[in-house]
Amino acid sequence: MSMPPPGPPVAPGPTPPVAAPALDPAFVAEPTVVVSGVSVFFGQKVALSELSCSFGPGVTGLLGPNGAGKTTLMRAVTGLVSVSSGQVWVAGGDPRKERTVQGHIGLVPEDEAVPGGLTPRELARYRAALHSVADREAPDRWLAVVGLLDVADRVMDGFSKGMRQRAKVAAALVSNPTVLILDEPLNGADPVQRGNLIRLFRQLGDQGRTVLVSSHVLYEVERLAERVVVLVRGRLAAAGDRRSIRDAMADRPRRVLVRADPARVLAAALAGHDAVGGVEVDGDRLTVATRRAGDLALALPTLARGAGVRLWEVRPLDESLEALFRELVR
Amino acid sequence: MKTRSRVRFDPRLVVVIAGYALKACFPTKRRIGLALPAAGALLFALLAHVIPDSAPIALAHVADGGLFGVVLPVGCLVIGDAVLGAEVRSGTLHFTWLSPASFATIVAGRWLAGFLAALAALAVPFGVAGLVAGVPGAIFPLALAAAAGSAAYVAVFVLFGALTRRAVVWSLGFVVLGERLLGTALSGVAQWSPGWEARAVYARYGPSAAGVLHRKGIPEGGSAVVRLLLITAVALVVAVWRLGHLRLSGPSGD
Repeated sequence: MSMPPPGPPVAPGPTPPVAAPALDPAFVAEPTVVVSGVSVFFGQKVALSELSCSFGPGVTGLLGPNGAGKTTLMRAVTGLVSVSSGQVWVAGGDPRKERTVQGHIGLVPEDEAVPGGLTPRELARYRAALHSVADREAPDRWLAVVGLLDVADRVMDGFSKGMRQRAKVAAALVSNPTVLILDEPLNGADPVQRGNLIRLFRQLGDQGRTVLVSSHVLYEVERLAERVVVLVRGRLAAAGDRRSIRDAMADRPRRVLVRADPARVLAAALAGHDAVGGVEVDGDRLTVATRRAGDLALALPTLARGAGVRLWEVRPLDESLEALFRELVR
Repeated sequence: MKTRSRVRFDPRLVVVIAGYALKACFPTKRRIGLALPAAGALLFALLAHVIPDSAPIALAHVADGGLFGVVLPVGCLVIGDAVLGAEVRSGTLHFTWLSPASFATIVAGRWLAGFLAALAALAVPFGVAGLVAGVPGAIFPLALAAAAGSAAYVAVFVLFGALTRRAVVWSLGFVVLGERLLGTALSGVAQWSPGWEARAVYARYGPSAAGVLHRKGIPEGGSAVVRLLLITAVALVVAVWRLGHLRLSGPSGD
């Protein structure tokens, strides 16, 4: 994958009529995208609830479990979905009402759908024509960037999910958007392409574009973005730089399953350790509650060796992102 | 640097969007599907030969029940849904919607694609049907009626695509309940029905068609063409308004 072409100078729009609360990690100093008190309802279902945050140049990771409202937020930012209340501003304009704002936005949606019977080159050229891109080489250049130039004339019906995602990335980038919305863009990509895409998105952020990337995979977002916004059940659960989010997640209480022989001896040894909140014994299984999983991990081998206990298995019981996110909104 | 300006109707982009829609909305399977109405038109024309009447009158009967009653609405429904409604449902309309093109440009491009597809899949076979039925004088009137009717039908079905995700159901309801049921009973409804007005075009220009297809209270000939153009314009204007209020929530619909 070759380097992306240099991006255009980013044209910040007029200041949106929304005050960004100072020092609130949900907001950035120079926003390109402002979400102000946005709620979105689909019938009785609340997809977003009173959400306020902003996004600026660079890559921002949008994290949340399935159904958190990430996709709805992204579609609201692009104008594809109207908000039930509140306001969205992109480059100083309302993406729903001002068609010129669409010239600033590129979207890679999560769903696999691509126009049937079209080739990646045809799709990229179509997008270029719609955006009146004068550079006739732009479609092929972006197809080369995402590694699809050699299959540019194959219809996308037979493409894998990863290839379709890359075709959509090229189609989104061909108009040189200043705001790039990427909804689970790494879905289906193989490890090599995943690494290439992550590098590409970081470079686009470094060029001064506002890149908003959603994922429910924490480590991917950590590789991509310095700033992270976490949504849970349509609400803002946390926002800030990725380290503070990770620390917040690391300090939560969690349970660790330990299989040991003899288990009761290890339970007695663990009960006296200050990192341990409680121990339950069930046969050769111990369920250990802790707020300092790192300390526990360091202490466990020493305690086991000292007590003459053999460890068979150590694994966290609630490491899913859903559990992490639930803890964040508690 | 991009500059902010009010977007206008752009004929160049209309052509771009129509070209894309013709390719993207009519993949091979759907193109084969479009051959069915064309084949249906020719079969109905053959059917005219077994009606014990003069060829023009037999063709007028076949045109009334078959060509304008079944083939034209069904063919246009498939085409009109393909150019907008199917894309809304499949979640691919954003490739067009997310652009600086005005909604009027997008709707016009989609309608143009549908109209061109209808000309190829319906108007031409309707003309050929006149020949197959042994009424050469019906070739042009049938093609004209099919073309004008298609323009209005496609516009109406594009509108349904912009109004609801269940565009096919509503379109069928429009044809069956609105046109066939209410339109047959009430001339006031039929005056705004693409199917009845397309018949009225042929009633005026088709050989010996007036005796079969004439209906009191429905403008015929050129007036019917004008009426069809009016239906087209009104449907497209509402579709433009509606496109700006569409919630493109992806294939899941929520």
